[in-house]
Amino acid sequence: MFAWLKGPGKAFRKPLPGSSNYLSAYDRQGNLIRKGREERDDRGRFADLGEDEVLKETEDRDGLPKEGARDLKPYPLNAQFKSQPVLSEDLRRAINELVTENGIDLKAVSAAFGIDVRRVAAVVRLMEVEKAWEQEGKPLAKAYNDAVLAMLPTTPYRPSNPPAHEPINDLPVHPWTRQQIFLPTSESRVFTRADAAKTFHPSLLPADERIAHPELVQIAKWEHEGFDRETRQRLMREKDSESVARKEMKEYKRKQWERRTQVTVPGRRWDFKFQDISAEKVNKDGRGHEAVGIRYGMPHEDRKKGQFKIPTKVE
Amino acid sequence: MPRKSLLKFHTLKKPKIRQSWSKINLYNLSRLSTPAAATKTFFQQKWLAKSMTRGYHHPQIKEKHWTRMFDRRLPAVVPMDYQYLAQTDGSEMALGRGGGLDKEADQVHARDSRRRLKTPYMHMTFHPLERRLDTAIWRALFASSTRQARQFVVHGGVKVNGKRMLHPGYRLNPGDMFQVDPDKVMYATGARKAKKTGAMSTQDLADLKEQRRREEAAKAQETEAGADTAELDEDLEAMAAKPEEQEDPKAALKLLSMRASRILDSKRDLSGKRRQELREFSRTVRKTLSKLRGIEEEQVEETIDGLELGLAEILSKVPQDSLPKDEAAALDSARAAAEQDQATEEQAVDDTRTRRDAELLHAALERARENPIDASKPYATPWKPREFMSAFAFIPRYLEVNQNICSAVYLRHPVARPGLAEVPTPFHGETMGLTFNWYLKRR
Repeated sequence: MFAWLKGPGKAFRKPLPGSSNYLSAYDRQGNLIRKGREERDDRGRFADLGEDEVLKETEDRDGLPKEGARDLKPYPLNAQFKSQPVLSEDLRRAINELVTENGIDLKAVSAAFGIDVRRVAAVVRLMEVEKAWEQEGKPLAKAYNDAVLAMLPTTPYRPSNPPAHEPINDLPVHPWTRQQIFLPTSESRVFTRADAAKTFHPSLLPADERIAHPELVQIAKWEHEGFDRETRQRLMREKDSESVARKEMKEYKRKQWERRTQVTVPGRRWDFKFQDISAEKVNKDGRGHEAVGIRYGMPHEDRKKGQFKIPTKVE
Repeated sequence: MPRKSLLKFHTLKKPKIRQSWSKINLYNLSRLSTPAAATKTFFQQKWLAKSMTRGYHHPQIKEKHWTRMFDRRLPAVVPMDYQYLAQTDGSEMALGRGGGLDKEADQVHARDSRRRLKTPYMHMTFHPLERRLDTAIWRALFASSTRQARQFVVHGGVKVNGKRMLHPGYRLNPGDMFQVDPDKVMYATGARKAKKTGAMSTQDLADLKEQRRREEAAKAQETEAGADTAELDEDLEAMAAKPEEQEDPKAALKLLSMRASRILDSKRDLSGKRRQELREFSRTVRKTLSKLRGIEEEQVEETIDGLELGLAEILSKVPQDSLPKDEAAALDSARAAAEQDQATEEQAVDDTRTRRDAELLHAALERARENPIDASKPYATPWKPREFMSAFAFIPRYLEVNQNICSAVYLRHPVARPGLAEVPTPFHGETMGLTFNWYLKRR
C-alpha cells in the first residue's frame, strides 16, 4: 500500500488545479492519461467561446487539457456512473436573481437553462438561507466552497448561449408500463401514444402529458402548425390563465370540502380539529391500516425491544 | 476511533471497499476487480457479489433490515425530446406491419439501437439506502465517511428542514433540506492538525519534511561533485537564511509596537476609531511581550503572524476613511489643473499608486479574513481540503448542494437513465446483477 501511495497514488494527495482528479483519469503507473491527448479536442468543444476565454480556462487548469467523459469516472469498474457537472456559483446567483428579483417563474428559468424545476427551486431556497446568514453575520464556508467547486466539473454561466445542465423532460418508467401486453388490433388503425397509455391502464396519461414541461411540446406543435410568434404567445397566455383558473377552482373546492367536513374548535392553547371518519375502514379483520383509533386485539408494539420510531417526515 | 480498528475496517488482506475517503480505501479501490466466475458455482458467485457490495453499502445495517428495505422494482426514467413529441403522435412506431414498411422501420430501429444505451437497472439495487440521511450527508461532501456523517447526526450537528434530527437512518423525502454545522464540515473535509496547539496541518508538515530531505540530498550530491563550489553556496545560503533566523520574537514584537506608534504620531488625519484601534493594538503587543517567557516557540510565531495581520487590517482601513477627503482634494486639483506643475503631478501618481496598493492589500486581507489562521479550530488553518479528497469528490444529481452554508436539498430519489445510474457504487454491473439476484426471494 505504501509503495502505491508513494508511487501512482501520489497524484491523488492534492487536487489538480481547476479540474477533477479521479482514479480513471490515470493509468496504472500514475500518469495522467489526457496529458498526451491533443489539445485540438479542446478547440472543438469551445468553438462558441472567445480566444481569451479559452486561454483563461486552460490557464486555470495549469495548461492541462480539459477532462473528457472517461476522466470523470470516480470508480474505474463502474462505467455506468459518471461524476456529472454541478451548477457553478455564477449560475446559481444568476438563477436566484432571475427568480427573486426579476420575478420570472421557475418553469421558464428551468426551460431556458436546461435545469430541473426542482433544482431551480432548491437553488433559490438555499440562496435565501445564504442571504439570511450574511445578514446575521454568520460566517460562510467560503474556503470550503471554493475548494470543492474547483474539484468538481461545473456547468458555467453563459447568458447568451446557456449550455443545458441536465435533461428536463424525464419520463418516469411507471410500474404499469413494465408489463408486455399483446393487443390485437386492426392494421388500419392509427395507434398513438395515448392509445398505448390507455392499453396499459385506463387512467394512465400519455407520455406527452407525463413529462415536466408539456407546454414546450404544445409550443413546438403550434410552431409546426405555422402560427406566428404573436399568436403562439397569445395562445400560451390563454392556456396559462386557464390552468391558473383551474388551480384556483380546485383550491376553492378543497376549502369548501374542509368547511363541510372539518370542525375546528379553538382551545386555550391548542385548536381541536374534528373530522368525519368511516368506521368501515378497519376492514373485516379490524386491522386496516387507514382506520382511526385504538382497536381491540391490536396492541401497540412501540414499547417492545428493538422497536424505535424514526420520523418519516419533517415539516 | 483507534488506529487498529480503522485498519480492520479498511482491510488490506481481504479488501472491502467502504464509503470513506481514507487513503487505504483509495488503494483498495485502485486494485478492485470483478471476481472470476469460471471456477465458482452460481451460488458462490452471488454470495461473493453480495458480500462485496454489502461491505460498501451500509454494512452496519443488519441483513434482515436491509432485506426488508430491498425492492425488486427499480426506478428509472427515459429522457424525452419535446420536439419529437410535438412532431409525432407515436403511430409511426406501429406503422405498416405487414405492409412492406416494416423493413425500413426495422433498419431505422437497428441504427437507433446501436446508438441507444441500455438502462443500468442493476446498479440501482441499493437505491433505498441512498435516502438515508447519513449517506446523503456523505454524498454531499459534508463528511469524509458515512460513519462520520452518522456521528455528526447523532451528536446533534445536523438539521433537517430547520429542525434538529438525531436519527442517521432518517429517510429523506424529496424536497427535504439538510444543514450540517459548517465547523463540523470544515473539520471533516479539512486537513488534519499536526499539533493540538498549533494551526499547521500534517500534510503541510509532510511536504516541508519532504522538501527539506530533497534539499539535503541535493546538497550531499553537490558536496560529492565539488568541494569548492559548496563552500561558496553555503556562504550564500547562510546570508540568505540568517536574517530570518536571527529575528527573535522579542525584536519582532518591539518592531510591531514601534510601527504602530509611528503611525499614530505621523498621520494627523486618522479617525478616532482608528486611533483607538491602534492604541489597543500596541497595548496587546506590550502584553504579549510581557508574557513571552511562558509560551512555546511555535505559538509565539503564530501570535506574531496574527498581530502582523491585525496591524495590516487596521492600516487597510485608513485610506478608506480618508477617501472622501482625498477625492475632494483631487477635484480641487483638477480645477486648478492649469497651474499644476510637474511635482504635484508626480505626487498624484504616487497617491494613486499607494491607493491601489492599499486596495490590493485590502483584497488579500479579505481573503485572509475569510480563511484565517486560528489555532483554536479543530482543523488546520488556513483551511485546505484534506489529502485524497479529490479522488472521491463528486455530487450525484439527486442532491443540490450549497457549499457556502453547508446545506443541501434532496431533490428526488435517485433514478437510472439510459447509460447512467445515479446510485454511486464502485462495482461492475455484473457484480451488481449477481447481488440483485441474491436478494430476490427465490435464489
